[in-house]
Amino acid sequence: MGTSRRDFLKQAGAGVAAVSVVGLPAAARGQARPGVPATPVKIGVLPIRAGIAAPVGAAGLRGTEWWAERVNKSGGILGRPVQLVVEEESNPKDTVERFRKLVLQDKVDIVLGGISTGVTLALGQAAEEMAFPWLSWDGTTQKGVDETMPNPKWAFRSVDNEVEAIAAGILTAKYFKGIKTVAGINNDYSYGHDCWQSYQAVLKKLGVEVKPVLELFPKLGVTDFTSHIAAIQQAKPDLLMTSFWSGDATILLKQAAAVGLFKTMKGVFTTAGGVHDSLKKQFTPEGLLLGYNSMYFDDPNGSALLKQFVREYKTKYNEYPPYECDHAYFCAESYKVAVEKAYAGARQWPAKEQLVKALEGIEVESLSGKRSWREDHIQMCNFYQGLTTHKNGYDFVTINPIEVVSTRQAMKPAGAKLLDWINSWKL
Amino acid sequence: MSGVFHAAILFLVAAGLQVVFGVQKIFNLACGSFYALGAYVGVSAVQAFTAAGGPPWLFVLPLAAAGLGVGAVGVIVERGLLRFVYDRDETFQLLLTFAVVLMMEDALRLTWGTAPRSTSALYLTYGQVRLLGAAVPVYNLIVIGASLAIALGIGWLLTRTVFGRIIRATADNREMAEALGVDIGRVYARVFTLGTALGTLGGALVIPATAAMSEMGIELIVEAFAVVVIGGLGSMRGAFVGALVVGILRSVAISVYPELEMLVIYLIVIAVLVLRPRGLFGGAAA
Repeated sequence: MGTSRRDFLKQAGAGVAAVSVVGLPAAARGQARPGVPATPVKIGVLPIRAGIAAPVGAAGLRGTEWWAERVNKSGGILGRPVQLVVEEESNPKDTVERFRKLVLQDKVDIVLGGISTGVTLALGQAAEEMAFPWLSWDGTTQKGVDETMPNPKWAFRSVDNEVEAIAAGILTAKYFKGIKTVAGINNDYSYGHDCWQSYQAVLKKLGVEVKPVLELFPKLGVTDFTSHIAAIQQAKPDLLMTSFWSGDATILLKQAAAVGLFKTMKGVFTTAGGVHDSLKKQFTPEGLLLGYNSMYFDDPNGSALLKQFVREYKTKYNEYPPYECDHAYFCAESYKVAVEKAYAGARQWPAKEQLVKALEGIEVESLSGKRSWREDHIQMCNFYQGLTTHKNGYDFVTINPIEVVSTRQAMKPAGAKLLDWINSWKL
Repeated sequence: MSGVFHAAILFLVAAGLQVVFGVQKIFNLACGSFYALGAYVGVSAVQAFTAAGGPPWLFVLPLAAAGLGVGAVGVIVERGLLRFVYDRDETFQLLLTFAVVLMMEDALRLTWGTAPRSTSALYLTYGQVRLLGAAVPVYNLIVIGASLAIALGIGWLLTRTVFGRIIRATADNREMAEALGVDIGRVYARVFTLGTALGTLGGALVIPATAAMSEMGIELIVEAFAVVVIGGLGSMRGAFVGALVVGILRSVAISVYPELEMLVIYLIVIAVLVLRPRGLFGGAAA
């Protein structure tokens, strides 16, 4: 998932906004409907561009750009061309400042983006304080949201982050019967801890009596897991669970293969499909449970929209798209559909209050199929997980069978406490 | 053995730190950046080698050559930047090497992009052997062997060669060495390049087992600092023993009580600072 030097130079730079009207044919300009301004719709975008999550940020931006080109080619939103104003997501303080700049100086109509938990929690508060609509791609954890965004009016957030681990717990009970011991290796931040806790709670609820024999929480950014792998070998679990999701998943698999770790145990990688291109067959064994988050690029039952996107993404970037493209596409598309929905009633471009009202409960066609915003401002979607296979035309693994777990199954209802909700499941 | 592999890489970076401090009295914060640079150049060299039809089992040769070769960037940094601050307060030197860290990080992003870079599955090329009941990747043994050979080589360089004597004389008393006709500028350039090359080689050698990321040096530099405190600032023997202590302790802690992974290292650092402030081998420069 490389960013070419030209792309990087064109787009990079903290605090330097890239403004572009993407893919706009001349014929699409100046055809705004009655009650709709003729000026472009400005959309603020906040992708991560550096560090371990940079590939995910790049994928989100690419998904947004693809959406913008597509919208502009079809005449814009109610005739208004779309213009992206791109700023960088970095630390919470700077990102909030860029959010304010987008709103106050660039006068964007909406802000999209946000991946890191720390940043999204700050952005959520900023959106509420400024009374400005913001649709998060990712990054909102249970505990943080409960504390900082209990009843958001302007912020729209992603699914509960531990949904991948809950889905993986459900599928572990289905595919890996008979396991007695389990070890976990998860990053030492809230996402890693939440996933490990949720995964164990689901197994327990589903009657899979496993004993946790080892819990490892390496710091985010660690690139040498050889000592961790040695500890896992010593603990001899029947199964290893991890929520590693970026370059660290690839490194773990490579270092594990070098000592034959998965010859003696099962493996669950709840969301490592985010870096599926790098999970080469030489070091990624068959039979691991692998999660792709909310989009599976190789879904044979995928929509024409998904297939077109994958084809064009591969042609343009010489790689296959990961899940964040879908999160970003969904956020942008839901904005468009909400504007059109509000316009249909009022016959004028919606004010931000009307926009937020239109977004609540809306369902749109995204890359991974139908996705929606729950009334309490949470994304609702499907999650894709399955067992790794080498039987494909790629040099990396894919999954077969493809299990689809919806957030209606795997995410707690509004207002519920996570563990109370899991324990309330009727089996 | 996993701890020893980590120690082998750590030694190279810490040795680079030590040799520069020992002679030039500069605490080079940028040694982690050179480590990251070596990693990226190593990936590119190996990819170019295999793309050109080079046999995969020979990948260690372009890897090591790239790691050593890119160490030449040390000359540029030393002649282009550092030499202007030798007579200034140590704070300026620290600030300058920190500036190099920031510039290097951006340079890496501009050159290689933001996504992690790896050598795919080459790490598995040599297979594995069983040692003391555990499977050990043969590549790890190669790196451990290379690191050991480099440690011996540096020892030989410092004690048995004219250049080594000049380095030790300069480390002991720069003015006296200068008065005796030693070209200090040339010595500093060579020493800094040697230190840089040790770091870049460390980065190149680790890369088959992991992935290159622009911030990867930060993780290692913190451990390298622990190594030099434990071993003693400026001591090559200290770098060797300190790297082994940190590498093995970390590995043992992860196996026995994972929560204490970093705590044990810093407990040792504190103990050394309290009981033997100059480190286990501190005092004798270089």
